[in-house]
Amino acid sequence: MLHLTLDSTGPAPEPPRAFFAGAGLVWTRQRILWWIFVVNLILAFLGMHQVAHWLGGNVLNHSLESSRRLVHGFDITALAELGLLPENPLRGMGSMSVIPSFLFTLFMLFMTGGILVAYYDDLRLDAAGFFEACGRHFWRFVRLLIYFLIALIPIAILASLAGKIYNNIDEAAVSPYSAPIFTAVAAIFLLFLLMSVRLWFDMAQVISMAKDERKMYRMLGRSASLVWHNFGSLFWLYLRISVIGWVLFGAGLYIWMIRLRPENTPAAFLIGQIMIVFWLGTRLWQRAAETAWYKQYRLAYYAPVPMPPPAPVAPGEIPKAEILPETD
Amino acid sequence: MLTWNSRVRIKAAVLLLVGLTASAFAKNPRQPRAPQAKAAAEKSKAAAPAGEKQPLSTRVVAYQIQAALDTREHKIKASETLTYKNLTGQPQQNFPFHLYLNAFQPQSTFMTEVRLYGTRGTGAESGWDPKHFGSITVTKLQVDGMGDLTNKMQFIQPDDHNTEDRTVFQAALPKPIPPGASVVFHMDFDDILPEVVERTGYKRDFYMVGQWFPKVGVWWKNQWNCHQFHATTEFFADFGTFDVNLIVPQSEIVGAGGDLVGSTNNPDGTKTLTFHSEDVHDFSWTASPHYTVVEDSWTGSTGTVKIHLLMSPGHMRSAPRYLHALKGTLAYYDQYVGPYPYDRITVVDPPHGALDAGGMEYPTLITAGTAWFMPRGLLAPEGVVEHEFGHQYWYAMVATNEFEEAWLDEGINSYLEVKVMDALYGKQTSILNFPFAQAGESQEQRTSYLSVPDFDPLTRFAWQFEGSNSYGGVTYGKTATVLLTLEKFLGEDKMREVMHQYFLRYRFTHPTGEDFLKTIQDVSGQDLHSYFDQAVSGTNILDYEIDDAHSDRVKWYEITRTGPKLYRTYVTVHRKGDFVFPVDVKITFDDKSSVLEHWDGRDRWIRYTYERPAQVASAEVDPDRKVWLDRNFFNNGRSIDGDDRAVHKLMNIWVFANEWISQLFAWIT
Repeated sequence: MLHLTLDSTGPAPEPPRAFFAGAGLVWTRQRILWWIFVVNLILAFLGMHQVAHWLGGNVLNHSLESSRRLVHGFDITALAELGLLPENPLRGMGSMSVIPSFLFTLFMLFMTGGILVAYYDDLRLDAAGFFEACGRHFWRFVRLLIYFLIALIPIAILASLAGKIYNNIDEAAVSPYSAPIFTAVAAIFLLFLLMSVRLWFDMAQVISMAKDERKMYRMLGRSASLVWHNFGSLFWLYLRISVIGWVLFGAGLYIWMIRLRPENTPAAFLIGQIMIVFWLGTRLWQRAAETAWYKQYRLAYYAPVPMPPPAPVAPGEIPKAEILPETD
Repeated sequence: MLTWNSRVRIKAAVLLLVGLTASAFAKNPRQPRAPQAKAAAEKSKAAAPAGEKQPLSTRVVAYQIQAALDTREHKIKASETLTYKNLTGQPQQNFPFHLYLNAFQPQSTFMTEVRLYGTRGTGAESGWDPKHFGSITVTKLQVDGMGDLTNKMQFIQPDDHNTEDRTVFQAALPKPIPPGASVVFHMDFDDILPEVVERTGYKRDFYMVGQWFPKVGVWWKNQWNCHQFHATTEFFADFGTFDVNLIVPQSEIVGAGGDLVGSTNNPDGTKTLTFHSEDVHDFSWTASPHYTVVEDSWTGSTGTVKIHLLMSPGHMRSAPRYLHALKGTLAYYDQYVGPYPYDRITVVDPPHGALDAGGMEYPTLITAGTAWFMPRGLLAPEGVVEHEFGHQYWYAMVATNEFEEAWLDEGINSYLEVKVMDALYGKQTSILNFPFAQAGESQEQRTSYLSVPDFDPLTRFAWQFEGSNSYGGVTYGKTATVLLTLEKFLGEDKMREVMHQYFLRYRFTHPTGEDFLKTIQDVSGQDLHSYFDQAVSGTNILDYEIDDAHSDRVKWYEITRTGPKLYRTYVTVHRKGDFVFPVDVKITFDDKSSVLEHWDGRDRWIRYTYERPAQVASAEVDPDRKVWLDRNFFNNGRSIDGDDRAVHKLMNIWVFANEWISQLFAWIT
């Protein structure tokens, strides 16, 4: 007989080992990572393709100048010159980059449900199951996205306030360091807030997925309570993976920008894409770790507790079953 | 004219006479009480042995100014005595004066133009901020022998008839000043300094005080030249002497465009600093209690120049960079253009938030610009010091009219900026020098021209340009590009001789564009009118392209594939722009042989045809990159075998950025 505890939003009885479990989930369910990466790459490529095709065919591919100024080194003024040509071969680059970003965001919104189910279930999902999960959670997560955007408003106000304080400090302080130091502190604080809010909504998505719950505002309440009581372990989990992502990204940038020969285009492409995979991978790692954490958390609370053997029942008495509602 | 070394010895004697022993920029110098400005000037004159010291310039004006800085109200209360020598060759009765600080008022012509097209550091349609209010009020005007003429002052608006503009006033004297005679004006005036805007003003306790006193116009081309202050204009004034007493709090560290000849502490906590400057046409100064003073010197062909670097808090890491650029520029100018005749140069590093005061030139004082975080690969501090020091030649000494012919100072200076920066920091890396990105001065100047290639000719009055972008792109960028093209056409040695001769002929005078162009023709011995008509007076665009380059078998109709093949190669060169200029065309074949053609460019296109046993590999107009005015370098050369690495590189960056930004967006989901 199982005995389930009721208060599932309290602190976890022991720190779940979700960090490595999350990494393992990303590794064992690599297909998710690669599919998202491929979609990300294709969308970006499609956004660029037309401009690049025109630029190569009409301006750069047969130009001796492009080889001198853009291949062996990277002369910024060459790029400026391209933009100033009457034909403006770089036209449309800005708008063409917005559309892929928007489409990718929609794609990820759709995929999130499937990703979470795939990480939560012990068994591997087939494609049908995956997309069924995507569809099942899509509109719920759209609603969560709206709540998330609303939650960002106070942070935006704080950021605006920080900007004004920066200006005031910069105006008044003799030292040029005062305002940048304030900016650094404010940025860290705002980043902390952003990550905390993201963590809150991430966990709301996980709980919603785990419980197949439709009422998102209720999920937000439960998630808030859960994150509040386990903030240290959850935030540390989120932060550690973020830091790994930033370090890998920085290392990639260093190799690309500093160590690589300017004309080694294939290697540059490879490094850039590896950076993208790592960046994406760390985000999925966060998702997987949060899912694993929640799963371990539930198991910890819902673990079977040995019960004393039942007392002999007197003939004629029928024991009543105790049904406890889950409230986590 | 005496040698510069003699001037140094004379100056040393003067300094000894007045007993100066401490640094000119010591925070609390312990010098004997300084004489008043007039007395200092007399002493200075008396120190020079009679007949030995000759002025470098025709001294038309002699300013004696006594000014007290109120650091609480950011105001200056001052009196000025101007002795003006009438060398105009005719009687003068009406004298115009600049009152530049009155530009910083909402109804001024300056602000109207700023609202139209912006100016340095300020975008178009920027709102009016009362903290940028500035003014100069002449409270009293007296003329020796003519009494109080305060009521005879009248604001005039020679450029746009905006009656609200008060940047020029005219004093009508009761009787004319005969030719050769002098007139002495006495003025009391009050300055309200703006928070730093358009080169001048205060920021916290930093002061950069420029264009701050009533300055008489210039009799030029047989009339008074005294323009209103505009969003895009700079300055124009006559040479002379300045004796200035500055009364500032004792905590202030002061730098100025003059020699410090006296300093004394006053009982009220202030100190009086006396500066003397000669053969200059302006006087500016700066004060801050937070400067760190860096003293250095440079020795050139004519002696030692003292360098005073006034560094703002947090910027000391840029000091060695400033010094390296400054010394390099001094050396380059010394060899390339001519000697620097002054014995000092002061470099002011504005504090953070006061960059609008940076990047400006005054005689023997320039303002630079940096930030607490300035990567070594970004050569902005070096570039600004080089440029502003160059103005000691093209503005301070060769004192052209910046209102009407800005290209003569900013443009020529930008051309020399390319030469100096390329020599000091490399042709491809003199602006930006990172492993992942580079930029050179010459390309940067050309790019700024390309952004506005055909709105205005170089010769347009500064305030009549289409806008501040056109003013900047044409005055700085196009002039530099025009002169770079000319240098390639004439040869570097000839161009060097041009600049040298121009400097020697016109230093300490007010030459015109005609003078400059005539010097080029004289020195080069070539008729360059066609080039000047198009490049200087015109707005034609220069653009050559390889329209076609291909080879065809001569006996294309024969099926045989054995034996040597003869090819007929066609190369068509197209002049896309209206600017006609001779160019070279280089055709390279796949057997590594090449042909160099020369085309006068008069027709719209030309086709070259060759028959040889090799096919064309590439064709290029202007292979040695002589014609910097060419609008599009990318269509100059055409290779038959394509090289898609450039476009792949751009795609790499763009795809990567797009993917990453997409993921950042997706973070919200």
